[in-house]
Amino acid sequence: MKRTVLDYALKIRLPLTLFIIAVSFILTFYISRAERDSVGYAPEQPIKFSHKLHAGQMSIDCQYCHIGVSKERHAIIPSVNICMNCHSVARKDKPEIIKLTHYYNEGIPIPWKRIHKVPEYAYFNHSVHVNKKIDCASCHGDLKQMEVVNQVKAFTMTACLDCHRNPSAYLPYLSKVNLGPENCSACHR
Amino acid sequence: MDDYSKLSNNKLWKSLKEFHNEDDVLKMKHDEFLDGVTDEFDSSKLSGISRRKFFALLSASAALTATACTNYRDKGEIIPYNKRPEEILPGAANYYASTCNGCSLSCGILIKTREGRPIKVEGNPDHPVSRGKICAKGQASILDLYDPERLKAPYFNGKETSWKNVDSTVINILNETQKNGKQIAIVTDTIVSPTAKKVLDDFTAKYQNTKIYSYSLVNDFIRRQAWSECYGTDEYPAVKFDDANIILTLDADFLGNEGNYIENMRKYVSKREVVDKLNFNRLYAAEGRMSSTGMMADYRLKVAPSQQLNFVLGIIYELNKINPHLQLDKSISARLKKFSLLDSADGEKFKHLIKDLNDNRGKSIIYAGDSLSKDVHLAVNYLNEVLGNTILYDYKSSFKNIVKHSTKEEITSLINSMNQGKVGIIIHYESNPVYTMPKDFGYESALKNVKTVISLTVSENESSAYANYTLPTNHSFEAWGDAYAREGFYSLQQPVISPIFNSRQKESVLLSWISANPNSYQEDIYHQYLMKSFNSDVFVKANSLADAKTFWYSALHDGIVRKNGTRQITRFNNIVLNNIKEIIPGNNFIVHLTESYFVGDGRFANNGWLQELPHPVSKITWDNYASISPITAKQLNVQMNDFIEVSLDGRKLVLPALIQPGVHERTINIELGYGRTKAGEVGKNVGFNSVELMTKNWVYSPFLFENASIRKSEGSHKLVSTQEHHSLDDTFVKDFHYSRKIIQEGTLEKYIKEPNFLNEEKENLVSITNEIKYTGHKWAMAIDLNKCTGCSACISSCNVENNIAVVGKEQVERGREMQWIRIDRYYSGQPDNPIVSNQPMLCQHCDNAPCENVCPVNATNHSPDGLNQMVYNRCVGTRYCSNNCPYKVRRFNFFNHRDHFADAYYDNDLTSLMYNPEVTVRSRGVMEKCTFCVQKIMEARSNAIRDGKELKGSDVVTACQQACPTNAITFGDANDPASQIAKLRKHNLSYHVLEELNVKPNVTYIAKLRNTHSEEK
Repeated sequence: MKRTVLDYALKIRLPLTLFIIAVSFILTFYISRAERDSVGYAPEQPIKFSHKLHAGQMSIDCQYCHIGVSKERHAIIPSVNICMNCHSVARKDKPEIIKLTHYYNEGIPIPWKRIHKVPEYAYFNHSVHVNKKIDCASCHGDLKQMEVVNQVKAFTMTACLDCHRNPSAYLPYLSKVNLGPENCSACHR
Repeated sequence: MDDYSKLSNNKLWKSLKEFHNEDDVLKMKHDEFLDGVTDEFDSSKLSGISRRKFFALLSASAALTATACTNYRDKGEIIPYNKRPEEILPGAANYYASTCNGCSLSCGILIKTREGRPIKVEGNPDHPVSRGKICAKGQASILDLYDPERLKAPYFNGKETSWKNVDSTVINILNETQKNGKQIAIVTDTIVSPTAKKVLDDFTAKYQNTKIYSYSLVNDFIRRQAWSECYGTDEYPAVKFDDANIILTLDADFLGNEGNYIENMRKYVSKREVVDKLNFNRLYAAEGRMSSTGMMADYRLKVAPSQQLNFVLGIIYELNKINPHLQLDKSISARLKKFSLLDSADGEKFKHLIKDLNDNRGKSIIYAGDSLSKDVHLAVNYLNEVLGNTILYDYKSSFKNIVKHSTKEEITSLINSMNQGKVGIIIHYESNPVYTMPKDFGYESALKNVKTVISLTVSENESSAYANYTLPTNHSFEAWGDAYAREGFYSLQQPVISPIFNSRQKESVLLSWISANPNSYQEDIYHQYLMKSFNSDVFVKANSLADAKTFWYSALHDGIVRKNGTRQITRFNNIVLNNIKEIIPGNNFIVHLTESYFVGDGRFANNGWLQELPHPVSKITWDNYASISPITAKQLNVQMNDFIEVSLDGRKLVLPALIQPGVHERTINIELGYGRTKAGEVGKNVGFNSVELMTKNWVYSPFLFENASIRKSEGSHKLVSTQEHHSLDDTFVKDFHYSRKIIQEGTLEKYIKEPNFLNEEKENLVSITNEIKYTGHKWAMAIDLNKCTGCSACISSCNVENNIAVVGKEQVERGREMQWIRIDRYYSGQPDNPIVSNQPMLCQHCDNAPCENVCPVNATNHSPDGLNQMVYNRCVGTRYCSNNCPYKVRRFNFFNHRDHFADAYYDNDLTSLMYNPEVTVRSRGVMEKCTFCVQKIMEARSNAIRDGKELKGSDVVTACQQACPTNAITFGDANDPASQIAKLRKHNLSYHVLEELNVKPNVTYIAKLRNTHSEEK
């Protein structure tokens, strides 16, 4: 039987094209996943604040600065006056602290780059999680080792639900842990 | 006849040219395209890029785009405070006690702020009168703060100017006017602030030609006048409605918008208890219109407002007949006459009334409306004296009168002086006399003879249109203040946000003019003045152990300071009875003007939320109308919406008619406060200005006119209602709410005899679906219909809490209003005097919710704690759920209403500050409905976890429940056997609407009991 151009197109060319498209889609999907979920996002901040130094080496409690975290929804990025509790005395000559003091004295709020974000229609509540003794590191990674903060875990609905459905696997350090709510209104309203 | 058949054989033609077969037509038919549509194809003119190169470019750009995609998305910035104020925790709400400025009642409020923005107003529970409750207007007043049309800067003759210029020129003008001996007139609304009064006194002391005029459109001037004649003081006492077994109201909407209606409602329902104990009063309402109070009455008698005096005299006559021990004054016994204007049904009620009043001497109260004539008030005061009902007067809480309302003579002399050029300056001190004064005063034209007109106002109005200086004042949430509205306590008002625009506190403006130094203005000038005045007037007298500063801060924290009321109770002055003038009732129509329930005297006209609140009785939004009886409508051959012309001695008003069941045949009731011409985009030209019908030369009362004539006029005006007005005579729909058990009611007597009467016919319903067990919390609501007055505070509160959009009149007409809760009003009985039942209706959160089964995308489903959840992100807008909802409580966003309403009036950066950050702002194509305030449930849950406590149902207070002045709404955990809600769900009087559908709603209604006499007797 004579092979026509149509045969060639249908039997070889078309499957090959579809295969390439599928492979490239799958590859792109998985390769760019981290970026899409912002995992590894570590933007440059206006002041080179080091969690490794403050939370790690000096063991300052997270809640010394993030005062809202056990009280209400937001953890709160500390206002400059909290930094100045120490830095009005400590390390006043370092360039980053000079920058900080300038912000404080001029009354300019510091435009920190946002790293962790859940969408506006999800109403995440820090205090509920923290008061149930869930460690900050379970979502934010080991900040005590981070010179520059980056996002460690995906903040997707899947990520939330994975833990809500099987908390003991994700939070092995908790001796007793309830299932998290799975209903829509728990997060969306 | 055969023309058509002939036609088909003929050739068809499109133009005359074609018919004549002209050449160019033939050519056109030959070429498919006209000249120039297709050009000759020339390959050399094409781009030189080959097909291969084109593909290479395409893939290269695709690859580039792909690399660009791999970069992280920018997530913006988080900007914390520089120096965080100690009390502000971003994300947590703060509450500040203050005083409501919406009207002269001065209720105590708590303003909820988030990150420094006021987002909600609630009642202050520590306030002795309002006790944590405020009305619908107060709830919605927050929108006025964020009104995009507020004045943003001072204006001089239409041009923007600076405050400094204003201050220096005005001070010069004031001095000059003073020197020339001309009058400086300040026209103000009712003043309840003693410190503002002091400022005005200081102003008068500095500029001695100053005269203060206090004028408000709706007032209690006549009540005060009558009280003053009877008892020698115009500060009349509050009434202990909670101690009254029998209440008779005479055209007084004491549960709607007269007196302190928030306080009245609370006291009234304290004798409408069915749950824990049976404790009932009996309410008689004698009225010509159909008011909120009339809806609630056990017995409603139709009495025209002009017959009220004869009605009262008729009552005294009958009482005198059955009780010879009543010692009547001679001057009154001479004029007693039988009241014979009642129809037979009302005649029976009248007999009951007389008996009840006689049996409950000292335990009953007769309360006359603010709009009735002084003579009625005198007679009513006397009747209460005779019956010993004066025990129910609460002198310790009487209504203060700080600045007296100007008489008509005072206003007339002001206007005469204006016309004679004797007035140099007029200051509109947050007042709008051009709109509120009757037109025959001639205020508007007299203004043209005044050289300098200054309007101190929050936003432009009819009076500021004539002003040389239009000066923006702070909204009350940006202002300091105080109020001494009632004997016994003093309340404070504090700013909760710094002025958004270049506006100033109105008292501060006067203070800087008093100082006569244009550079003297300081932002805290009135704050300091207020504190000084507070120290000398309140602190010193309080004999407190605390120091002045602590005392001030604790007063500011509480919002009120209690004072000991010292009042001498004076005796009734019998001589006044000689002054009673009788109205000889004519046969013409009576026009009765009453205050609008929601836009007040017009001051809330530019508030979309309030314009869209359905009228408590007629359910009309965005309009006022002439409310006439069905009989009158028939006589005039008028249909609903038809224009009628109301004329009163040459004053005419053409407005649409609303056929209102229950209205007296000769009464026409029209609401004031509409028809504003300069009130911003939302409020202007809404409704009809019934001030046009008012006159300075009123005979009985400024709000009541005999001898009106009405006739049908040309045309009609569509009145838009949120409830269809089905005819009561229609046999098909007549009393369907009873037959379908939407409304279940009984009488007190029946309930005492057979407590289980509601449940006798209950069938055992079998479910065809699997029962879901709710093991943890199960949220549920109960609404006590004995206590619901239809005041709509719940709707207003829900609007603010849940970011509900204003849709506008034309969308309401299509049934697209967005309010999550509505109050259904049902009539039964005869159209000329119907029985009214109110029922708040909201999402019932059914266990077997029919909406959930039909959603193709599972956007609405059930939570384990019994909530019917609505997920906006999943909703694709099929509206099947709404179609399948038996209660019709789902609302669909046909538009992004914020963008759609009035050219995106509320879609701006300023108004956006008002939204509750805990609730999603919905947009087009999404279904929404009551969530049982899930954000409040989640907040309570989070607080319980924080405090290590168990979440209790009583920790959650929904917005409607919080607002309800009568506490008719209970919310809680139905699975907690100790809770009030669990008790209510099991109560004998509890029922579910449309129970036979077995959808198992979680809103329980407590059936209304009417305290009527047994009919067997």
